Amino acid sequence: MTVNFFAISCVILTMALVSCNGNPDEQKNREELDGLDSTTTVSATTALTEENEVAYNLPSALQIAYVFKKSGAGFVPELLNNRSNSSKYNTSNYKRATNFGIYSADLAYCLFNKKYQESKEYLKSCKDIGSYLGLNQAFESDNMAQRFDKNIANEDSVVKIVSSVQLKADMMFEQNKQKHITVIAFAGAWTESMYIATQIYAKDKNKKVLVSLLEQLLLSETIIKALKSYKTSEPEIIDLIISIEKINAEFNAIASVKSAMEKDEEIDLNSISITDSELTTITKSVKTLRSKMID
Amino acid sequence: MKKIVKPLFGISIIFILMAFQSGDVLCNAKELKEKAKLYLEPYKYDSSELTRIMYKKKETIKEVEVPLFIGEKYRIVFELEALPKQVEVQIYNKDKDSKGRKLLFSSKDQGEKKEFLFEVSKTRHVYVDYVVPPTEDGSYSGCAVFMVGYK
Repeated sequence: MTVNFFAISCVILTMALVSCNGNPDEQKNREELDGLDSTTTVSATTALTEENEVAYNLPSALQIAYVFKKSGAGFVPELLNNRSNSSKYNTSNYKRATNFGIYSADLAYCLFNKKYQESKEYLKSCKDIGSYLGLNQAFESDNMAQRFDKNIANEDSVVKIVSSVQLKADMMFEQNKQKHITVIAFAGAWTESMYIATQIYAKDKNKKVLVSLLEQLLLSETIIKALKSYKTSEPEIIDLIISIEKINAEFNAIASVKSAMEKDEEIDLNSISITDSELTTITKSVKTLRSKMID
Repeated sequence: MKKIVKPLFGISIIFILMAFQSGDVLCNAKELKEKAKLYLEPYKYDSSELTRIMYKKKETIKEVEVPLFIGEKYRIVFELEALPKQVEVQIYNKDKDSKGRKLLFSSKDQGEKKEFLFEVSKTRHVYVDYVVPPTEDGSYSGCAVFMVGYK
Protein backbone atom coordinates (compact mmCIF):
# COMPACT_ATOMS: atom_id res chain seq x y z
CA MET A 1 0.00 0.00 0.00
CA THR A 2 2.77 2.40 1.01
CA VAL A 3 4.57 1.52 -2.21
CA ASN A 4 1.43 2.23 -4.27
CA PHE A 5 0.92 5.61 -2.69
CA PHE A 6 4.59 6.42 -3.10
CA ALA A 7 4.35 5.51 -6.80
CA ILE A 8 1.29 7.73 -7.27
CA SER A 9 3.07 10.62 -5.54
CA CYS A 10 6.05 10.19 -7.88
CA VAL A 11 3.73 10.35 -10.91
CA ILE A 12 2.15 13.52 -9.53
CA LEU A 13 5.54 15.13 -8.94
CA THR A 14 6.74 14.20 -12.43
CA MET A 15 3.60 15.62 -14.04
CA ALA A 16 3.92 18.80 -12.02
CA LEU A 17 7.49 19.26 -13.23
CA VAL A 18 6.55 18.50 -16.85
CA SER A 19 3.63 20.93 -16.72
CA CYS A 20 6.01 23.75 -15.73
CA ASN A 21 7.70 23.43 -19.09
CA GLY A 22 4.46 23.17 -21.11
CA ASN A 23 4.01 21.18 -24.29
CA PRO A 24 7.36 21.01 -26.15
CA ASP A 25 5.66 21.37 -29.55
CA GLU A 26 3.73 24.44 -28.49
CA GLN A 27 6.87 25.85 -26.92
CA LYS A 28 8.73 25.32 -30.19
CA ASN A 29 5.92 26.95 -32.19
CA ARG A 30 5.94 29.92 -29.89
CA GLU A 31 9.71 30.31 -30.13
CA GLU A 32 9.52 30.21 -33.93
CA LEU A 33 6.76 32.81 -33.95
CA ASP A 34 8.74 35.01 -31.59
CA GLY A 35 11.64 34.68 -34.00
CA LEU A 36 9.46 35.94 -36.84
CA ASP A 37 8.23 38.84 -34.71
CA SER A 38 11.76 39.98 -33.95
CA THR A 39 12.38 40.89 -37.58
CA THR A 40 9.55 43.41 -37.71
CA THR A 41 9.66 47.07 -36.76
CA VAL A 42 9.54 48.31 -33.19
CA SER A 43 6.07 48.41 -31.75
CA ALA A 44 4.13 51.55 -31.04
CA THR A 45 2.56 49.81 -28.05
CA THR A 46 4.25 50.11 -24.70
CA ALA A 47 3.62 46.70 -23.21
CA LEU A 48 5.31 44.28 -25.58
CA THR A 49 7.00 41.24 -24.12
CA GLU A 50 7.88 37.81 -25.42
CA GLU A 51 4.67 36.55 -23.80
CA ASN A 52 2.44 38.56 -26.10
CA GLU A 53 0.80 36.20 -28.52
CA VAL A 54 -1.07 36.54 -31.79
CA ALA A 55 -4.03 34.44 -32.93
CA TYR A 56 -5.99 34.48 -36.18
CA ASN A 57 -9.75 34.50 -36.64
CA LEU A 58 -10.60 33.24 -40.12
CA PRO A 59 -13.91 33.94 -41.89
CA SER A 60 -16.44 31.27 -42.83
CA ALA A 61 -16.89 29.59 -46.21
CA LEU A 62 -20.39 31.07 -46.21
CA GLN A 63 -19.08 34.61 -46.07
CA ILE A 64 -16.61 34.06 -48.90
CA ALA A 65 -19.41 32.67 -51.08
CA TYR A 66 -21.70 35.56 -50.09
CA VAL A 67 -19.11 38.13 -51.17
CA PHE A 68 -18.25 36.17 -54.33
CA LYS A 69 -21.92 35.98 -55.36
CA LYS A 70 -22.07 39.79 -55.32
CA SER A 71 -19.55 39.81 -58.19
CA GLY A 72 -22.23 38.38 -60.44
CA ALA A 73 -20.44 35.08 -61.00
CA GLY A 74 -22.70 32.35 -62.36
CA PHE A 75 -23.27 28.79 -61.17
CA VAL A 76 -21.14 26.10 -62.83
CA PRO A 77 -22.01 22.73 -61.24
CA GLU A 78 -19.09 20.95 -62.96
CA LEU A 79 -16.69 22.88 -60.73
CA LEU A 80 -17.96 21.31 -57.51
CA ASN A 81 -16.21 18.37 -55.91
CA ASN A 82 -18.18 15.20 -56.58
CA ARG A 83 -20.22 14.22 -53.52
CA SER A 84 -19.52 10.53 -54.08
CA ASN A 85 -15.88 11.21 -53.14
CA SER A 86 -16.76 11.89 -49.50
CA SER A 87 -16.27 8.28 -48.36
CA LYS A 88 -12.65 8.21 -49.52
CA TYR A 89 -11.56 11.06 -47.27
CA ASN A 90 -11.79 9.18 -43.98
CA THR A 91 -8.06 8.44 -43.99
CA SER A 92 -6.46 11.14 -41.83
CA ASN A 93 -7.46 14.21 -39.84
CA TYR A 94 -5.90 16.37 -42.52
CA LYS A 95 -7.88 14.73 -45.35
CA ARG A 96 -11.11 14.90 -43.35
CA ALA A 97 -10.56 18.56 -42.43
CA THR A 98 -9.57 19.86 -45.89
CA ASN A 99 -12.48 18.10 -47.57
CA PHE A 100 -14.89 19.22 -44.87
CA GLY A 101 -13.80 22.73 -45.89
CA ILE A 102 -14.12 21.96 -49.59
CA TYR A 103 -17.66 20.63 -49.24
CA SER A 104 -18.54 23.62 -47.00
CA ALA A 105 -17.42 25.95 -49.79
CA ASP A 106 -19.45 23.97 -52.35
CA LEU A 107 -22.48 24.08 -50.07
CA ALA A 108 -22.12 27.86 -49.65
CA TYR A 109 -21.68 28.34 -53.42
CA CYS A 110 -24.88 26.36 -54.09
CA LEU A 111 -26.75 28.19 -51.36
CA PHE A 112 -26.05 31.71 -52.62
CA ASN A 113 -26.90 30.62 -56.16
CA LYS A 114 -30.30 29.43 -54.90
CA LYS A 115 -29.56 25.81 -55.79
CA TYR A 116 -31.38 24.49 -52.77
CA GLN A 117 -31.59 20.80 -53.69
CA GLU A 118 -27.83 20.76 -54.36
CA SER A 119 -27.31 22.67 -51.10
CA LYS A 120 -29.16 19.95 -49.24
CA GLU A 121 -26.98 17.28 -50.84
CA TYR A 122 -23.73 19.12 -50.03
CA LEU A 123 -24.96 19.68 -46.49
CA LYS A 124 -25.27 15.90 -46.29
CA SER A 125 -21.66 15.53 -47.53
CA CYS A 126 -20.51 18.01 -44.85
CA LYS A 127 -22.45 16.02 -42.28
CA ASP A 128 -20.83 12.75 -43.43
CA ILE A 129 -17.29 14.09 -43.18
CA GLY A 130 -18.24 16.07 -40.06
CA SER A 131 -19.18 12.81 -38.37
CA TYR A 132 -15.60 11.54 -38.90
CA LEU A 133 -14.43 14.73 -37.15
CA GLY A 134 -16.77 14.26 -34.20
CA LEU A 135 -19.31 16.87 -35.32
CA ASN A 136 -22.46 14.70 -35.25
CA GLN A 137 -24.15 16.89 -32.67
CA ALA A 138 -23.62 20.04 -34.72
CA PHE A 139 -25.62 18.56 -37.59
CA GLU A 140 -28.25 16.74 -35.60
CA SER A 141 -29.34 19.28 -33.00
CA ASP A 142 -32.45 21.47 -33.25
CA ASN A 143 -34.02 19.29 -35.98
CA MET A 144 -31.65 20.85 -38.45
CA ALA A 145 -32.54 18.57 -41.39
CA GLN A 146 -36.29 19.09 -40.96
CA ARG A 147 -35.90 22.85 -40.61
CA PHE A 148 -33.75 22.89 -43.74
CA ASP A 149 -36.43 20.99 -45.70
CA LYS A 150 -39.19 23.22 -44.39
CA ASN A 151 -37.39 26.44 -45.37
CA ILE A 152 -35.67 25.15 -48.50
CA ALA A 153 -36.89 27.94 -50.81
CA ASN A 154 -36.15 30.76 -48.38
CA GLU A 155 -32.53 31.87 -48.76
CA ASP A 156 -32.41 33.90 -45.55
CA SER A 157 -33.75 31.07 -43.41
CA VAL A 158 -31.53 28.44 -45.00
CA VAL A 159 -28.44 30.63 -44.59
CA LYS A 160 -29.35 31.10 -40.92
CA ILE A 161 -29.67 27.34 -40.48
CA VAL A 162 -26.29 26.67 -42.08
CA SER A 163 -24.70 29.53 -40.05
CA SER A 164 -26.04 27.95 -36.91
CA VAL A 165 -24.45 24.60 -37.89
CA GLN A 166 -21.20 26.50 -38.46
CA LEU A 167 -21.38 28.07 -34.99
CA LYS A 168 -22.06 24.68 -33.39
CA ALA A 169 -19.16 23.10 -35.31
CA ASP A 170 -16.87 25.95 -34.16
CA MET A 171 -17.94 25.38 -30.56
CA MET A 172 -17.35 21.64 -30.82
CA PHE A 173 -13.88 22.07 -32.31
CA GLU A 174 -13.11 24.47 -29.45
CA GLN A 175 -14.49 22.06 -26.86
CA ASN A 176 -12.54 19.11 -28.33
CA LYS A 177 -9.32 21.18 -28.47
CA GLN A 178 -9.21 20.82 -32.25
CA LYS A 179 -8.73 24.46 -33.17
CA HIS A 180 -6.11 23.45 -35.74
CA ILE A 181 -8.80 21.46 -37.60
CA THR A 182 -10.82 24.66 -38.16
CA VAL A 183 -7.73 26.30 -39.70
CA ILE A 184 -7.08 23.33 -42.02
CA ALA A 185 -10.78 23.19 -42.94
CA PHE A 186 -10.72 26.89 -43.77
CA ALA A 187 -7.66 26.36 -45.98
CA GLY A 188 -9.73 23.73 -47.84
CA ALA A 189 -12.71 26.07 -48.16
CA TRP A 190 -10.51 28.90 -49.38
CA THR A 191 -8.82 26.67 -51.97
CA GLU A 192 -12.21 25.50 -53.30
CA SER A 193 -13.54 29.09 -53.48
CA MET A 194 -10.35 30.18 -55.24
CA TYR A 195 -10.68 27.25 -57.65
CA ILE A 196 -14.27 28.18 -58.50
CA ALA A 197 -13.38 31.87 -58.90
CA THR A 198 -10.31 31.30 -61.09
CA GLN A 199 -12.17 28.85 -63.35
CA ILE A 200 -15.17 31.16 -63.75
CA TYR A 201 -12.93 34.14 -64.50
CA ALA A 202 -10.93 32.13 -67.07
CA LYS A 203 -14.21 31.48 -68.88
CA ASP A 204 -16.08 34.80 -68.55
CA LYS A 205 -13.31 37.41 -68.02
CA ASN A 206 -15.72 39.36 -65.84
CA LYS A 207 -13.84 42.22 -64.13
CA LYS A 208 -16.00 42.03 -60.98
CA VAL A 209 -15.20 38.33 -60.64
CA LEU A 210 -11.51 39.19 -60.94
CA VAL A 211 -11.78 41.78 -58.15
CA SER A 212 -13.56 39.27 -55.92
CA LEU A 213 -10.95 36.63 -56.74
CA LEU A 214 -8.13 39.01 -55.81
CA GLU A 215 -9.95 39.91 -52.61
CA GLN A 216 -9.93 36.20 -51.70
CA LEU A 217 -6.25 35.98 -52.58
CA LEU A 218 -5.51 38.60 -49.94
CA LEU A 219 -6.60 36.08 -47.31
CA SER A 220 -3.68 33.80 -48.17
CA GLU A 221 -1.26 35.63 -45.90
CA THR A 222 -3.45 35.26 -42.82
CA ILE A 223 -4.09 31.58 -43.63
CA ILE A 224 -0.33 30.97 -43.80
CA LYS A 225 0.23 32.66 -40.44
CA ALA A 226 -2.64 30.70 -38.86
CA LEU A 227 -1.33 27.40 -40.26
CA LYS A 228 2.18 28.19 -39.01
CA SER A 229 0.89 28.48 -35.47
CA TYR A 230 -0.28 24.86 -35.71
CA LYS A 231 2.43 23.46 -37.93
CA THR A 232 3.28 20.53 -35.68
CA SER A 233 -0.36 19.49 -35.18
CA GLU A 234 -0.68 17.38 -38.35
CA PRO A 235 2.19 16.09 -40.54
CA GLU A 236 0.68 17.41 -43.80
CA ILE A 237 0.47 21.05 -42.62
CA ILE A 238 4.00 21.93 -43.74
CA ASP A 239 3.24 20.93 -47.35
CA LEU A 240 0.00 22.88 -47.23
CA ILE A 241 1.86 25.99 -46.01
CA ILE A 242 4.37 25.63 -48.86
CA SER A 243 1.58 25.38 -51.46
CA ILE A 244 -0.27 28.45 -50.15
CA GLU A 245 3.00 30.38 -49.82
CA LYS A 246 3.61 29.68 -53.51
CA ILE A 247 0.21 31.15 -54.45
CA ASN A 248 0.82 34.11 -52.13
CA ALA A 249 4.23 34.76 -53.72
CA GLU A 250 2.67 34.68 -57.20
CA PHE A 251 0.10 37.23 -56.08
CA ASN A 252 2.73 39.45 -54.47
CA ALA A 253 4.78 39.32 -57.67
CA ILE A 254 2.05 41.18 -59.61
CA ALA A 255 3.64 44.58 -60.33
CA SER A 256 0.85 46.76 -58.92
CA VAL A 257 0.54 44.59 -55.79
CA LYS A 258 4.29 44.74 -55.28
CA SER A 259 4.30 48.51 -55.66
CA ALA A 260 1.41 49.01 -53.19
CA MET A 261 3.14 46.76 -50.66
CA GLU A 262 6.42 48.63 -50.96
CA LYS A 263 4.58 51.88 -50.22
CA ASP A 264 2.64 50.22 -47.38
CA GLU A 265 -0.61 51.28 -49.07
CA GLU A 266 -4.01 49.59 -49.17
CA ILE A 267 -4.26 47.79 -52.52
CA ASP A 268 -7.01 49.16 -54.77
CA LEU A 269 -8.19 45.97 -56.45
CA ASN A 270 -10.55 47.83 -58.82
CA SER A 271 -7.66 49.54 -60.57
CA ILE A 272 -5.18 46.70 -60.43
CA SER A 273 -3.67 45.59 -63.73
CA ILE A 274 -2.86 41.93 -64.08
CA THR A 275 -1.57 40.10 -67.11
CA ASP A 276 -3.06 36.87 -68.48
CA SER A 277 0.22 35.14 -67.77
CA GLU A 278 0.23 36.24 -64.09
CA LEU A 279 -3.32 35.01 -63.66
CA THR A 280 -2.66 31.73 -65.45
CA THR A 281 0.22 31.01 -63.06
CA ILE A 282 -2.04 31.56 -60.02
CA THR A 283 -4.88 29.55 -61.61
CA LYS A 284 -2.54 26.59 -62.19
CA SER A 285 -1.18 26.65 -58.64
CA VAL A 286 -4.70 26.78 -57.17
CA LYS A 287 -5.78 23.88 -59.38
CA THR A 288 -2.76 21.80 -58.34
CA LEU A 289 -3.41 22.41 -54.64
CA ARG A 290 -7.10 21.60 -55.01
CA SER A 291 -6.29 18.36 -56.89
CA LYS A 292 -3.94 17.30 -54.09
CA MET A 293 -6.70 17.93 -51.58
CA ILE A 294 -9.52 16.08 -53.32
CA ASP A 295 -7.61 13.12 -54.79
CA MET B 1 -11.34 2.46 3.88
CA LYS B 2 -7.94 4.17 4.15
CA LYS B 3 -6.72 1.77 1.45
CA ILE B 4 -9.17 3.32 -1.02
CA VAL B 5 -8.97 6.95 0.08
CA LYS B 6 -5.23 7.46 -0.43
CA PRO B 7 -5.03 6.23 -4.06
CA LEU B 8 -8.27 8.07 -4.89
CA PHE B 9 -6.79 11.26 -3.48
CA GLY B 10 -3.66 10.74 -5.57
CA ILE B 11 -5.66 10.05 -8.74
CA SER B 12 -7.79 13.17 -8.18
CA ILE B 13 -4.65 15.28 -7.95
CA ILE B 14 -3.38 13.70 -11.19
CA PHE B 15 -6.59 14.72 -12.97
CA ILE B 16 -6.41 18.26 -11.59
CA LEU B 17 -2.80 18.57 -12.76
CA MET B 18 -3.71 17.18 -16.18
CA ALA B 19 -6.44 19.80 -16.54
CA PHE B 20 -3.90 22.56 -16.02
CA GLN B 21 -1.16 20.94 -18.11
CA SER B 22 0.31 23.38 -20.70
CA GLY B 23 -1.25 26.33 -18.90
CA ASP B 24 -4.81 25.45 -19.93
CA VAL B 25 -7.56 27.76 -18.78
CA LEU B 26 -10.91 26.08 -18.39
CA CYS B 27 -13.88 27.98 -19.78
CA ASN B 28 -17.36 27.16 -20.98
CA ALA B 29 -16.88 28.13 -24.63
CA LYS B 30 -20.39 27.04 -25.60
CA GLU B 31 -22.10 29.17 -22.97
CA LEU B 32 -19.98 32.24 -23.75
CA LYS B 33 -20.54 31.99 -27.50
CA GLU B 34 -24.27 31.45 -27.06
CA LYS B 35 -24.42 34.64 -24.98
CA ALA B 36 -22.43 36.57 -27.59
CA LYS B 37 -24.77 35.31 -30.32
CA LEU B 38 -27.69 37.12 -28.64
CA TYR B 39 -26.11 40.47 -29.53
CA LEU B 40 -25.28 39.56 -33.14
CA GLU B 41 -28.74 39.93 -34.68
CA PRO B 42 -29.54 41.09 -37.38
CA TYR B 43 -26.04 40.25 -38.58
CA LYS B 44 -25.31 36.71 -39.79
CA TYR B 45 -22.83 34.58 -37.85
CA ASP B 46 -19.43 34.42 -39.53
CA SER B 47 -16.82 33.33 -36.98
CA SER B 48 -15.83 33.52 -33.34
CA GLU B 49 -12.71 33.39 -31.24
CA LEU B 50 -12.17 32.35 -27.66
CA THR B 51 -9.00 33.68 -26.07
CA ARG B 52 -7.61 32.17 -22.89
CA ILE B 53 -6.07 34.82 -20.69
CA MET B 54 -3.65 34.37 -17.81
CA TYR B 55 -2.89 37.45 -15.74
CA LYS B 56 0.80 37.92 -15.07
CA LYS B 57 3.01 40.21 -13.04
CA LYS B 58 3.50 42.51 -15.99
CA GLU B 59 1.01 43.88 -18.52
CA THR B 60 0.59 41.63 -21.53
CA ILE B 61 -1.24 41.90 -24.84
CA LYS B 62 -3.01 39.12 -26.65
CA GLU B 63 -3.77 40.04 -30.24
CA VAL B 64 -6.20 38.45 -32.67
CA GLU B 65 -5.95 39.30 -36.37
CA VAL B 66 -9.35 39.45 -38.07
CA PRO B 67 -9.36 39.57 -41.89
CA LEU B 68 -12.44 41.22 -43.41
CA PHE B 69 -13.76 41.89 -46.89
CA ILE B 70 -13.56 45.55 -47.81
CA GLY B 71 -16.97 47.17 -48.30
CA GLU B 72 -18.84 44.59 -46.20
CA LYS B 73 -20.53 45.60 -42.95
CA TYR B 74 -19.49 43.76 -39.81
CA ARG B 75 -20.48 43.62 -36.17
CA ILE B 76 -18.05 42.30 -33.57
CA VAL B 77 -19.63 41.29 -30.27
CA PHE B 78 -17.50 40.86 -27.13
CA GLU B 79 -18.42 38.67 -24.18
CA LEU B 80 -16.06 39.18 -21.24
CA GLU B 81 -18.14 37.64 -18.48
CA ALA B 82 -15.58 34.88 -17.87
CA LEU B 83 -12.76 37.29 -17.00
CA PRO B 84 -12.12 37.72 -13.27
CA LYS B 85 -10.48 41.14 -13.71
CA GLN B 86 -11.21 43.87 -16.21
CA VAL B 87 -9.26 43.62 -19.48
CA GLU B 88 -9.22 46.50 -21.93
CA VAL B 89 -10.23 45.64 -25.48
CA GLN B 90 -8.63 47.76 -28.15
CA ILE B 91 -9.25 47.46 -31.89
CA TYR B 92 -6.68 48.73 -34.38
CA ASN B 93 -6.33 48.96 -38.15
CA LYS B 94 -2.80 47.48 -38.05
CA ASP B 95 -1.01 44.88 -35.96
CA LYS B 96 0.84 45.65 -32.74
CA ASP B 97 4.22 45.67 -34.46
CA SER B 98 3.22 48.34 -37.00
CA LYS B 99 4.14 51.96 -36.67
CA GLY B 100 1.39 54.58 -36.81
CA ARG B 101 -1.52 52.28 -36.29
CA LYS B 102 -4.89 53.81 -35.59
CA LEU B 103 -7.08 52.98 -32.59
CA LEU B 104 -10.60 52.29 -33.86
CA PHE B 105 -12.23 51.27 -30.60
CA SER B 106 -11.47 51.01 -26.89
CA SER B 107 -13.62 49.31 -24.27
CA LYS B 108 -12.59 52.01 -21.78
CA ASP B 109 -15.61 53.94 -23.01
CA GLN B 110 -17.85 51.00 -22.07
CA GLY B 111 -17.27 51.26 -18.31
CA GLU B 112 -17.73 47.97 -16.48
CA LYS B 113 -19.83 46.37 -19.23
CA LYS B 114 -19.11 42.70 -19.90
CA GLU B 115 -20.85 42.67 -23.27
CA PHE B 116 -20.42 45.29 -25.96
CA LEU B 117 -20.19 45.56 -29.71
CA PHE B 118 -18.30 47.35 -32.42
CA GLU B 119 -19.38 47.87 -36.03
CA VAL B 120 -16.97 48.33 -38.92
CA SER B 121 -16.84 48.45 -42.71
CA LYS B 122 -14.44 49.59 -45.44
CA THR B 123 -11.43 47.80 -44.04
CA ARG B 124 -9.59 44.56 -44.82
CA HIS B 125 -8.27 43.84 -41.35
CA VAL B 126 -8.85 44.70 -37.76
CA TYR B 127 -6.64 43.66 -34.87
CA VAL B 128 -8.30 42.93 -31.56
CA ASP B 129 -5.94 43.50 -28.63
CA TYR B 130 -6.73 42.31 -25.14
CA VAL B 131 -4.63 44.45 -22.82
CA VAL B 132 -4.21 42.28 -19.73
CA PRO B 133 -3.37 44.35 -16.64
CA PRO B 134 -0.57 43.22 -14.31
CA THR B 135 -1.54 41.47 -11.13
CA GLU B 136 0.49 40.91 -7.99
CA ASP B 137 -2.15 39.33 -5.80
CA GLY B 138 -2.42 35.67 -6.74
CA SER B 139 -2.98 33.81 -9.95
CA TYR B 140 -5.93 34.68 -12.16
CA SER B 141 -7.11 33.34 -15.48
CA GLY B 142 -10.21 33.55 -17.63
CA CYS B 143 -11.59 33.69 -21.15
CA ALA B 144 -12.72 36.37 -23.55
CA VAL B 145 -14.90 35.69 -26.57
CA PHE B 146 -15.70 37.74 -29.62
CA MET B 147 -18.03 36.89 -32.45
CA VAL B 148 -18.04 38.37 -35.95
CA GLY B 149 -21.23 38.84 -37.96
CA TYR B 150 -21.77 40.23 -41.47
CA LYS B 151 -24.76 41.95 -43.06
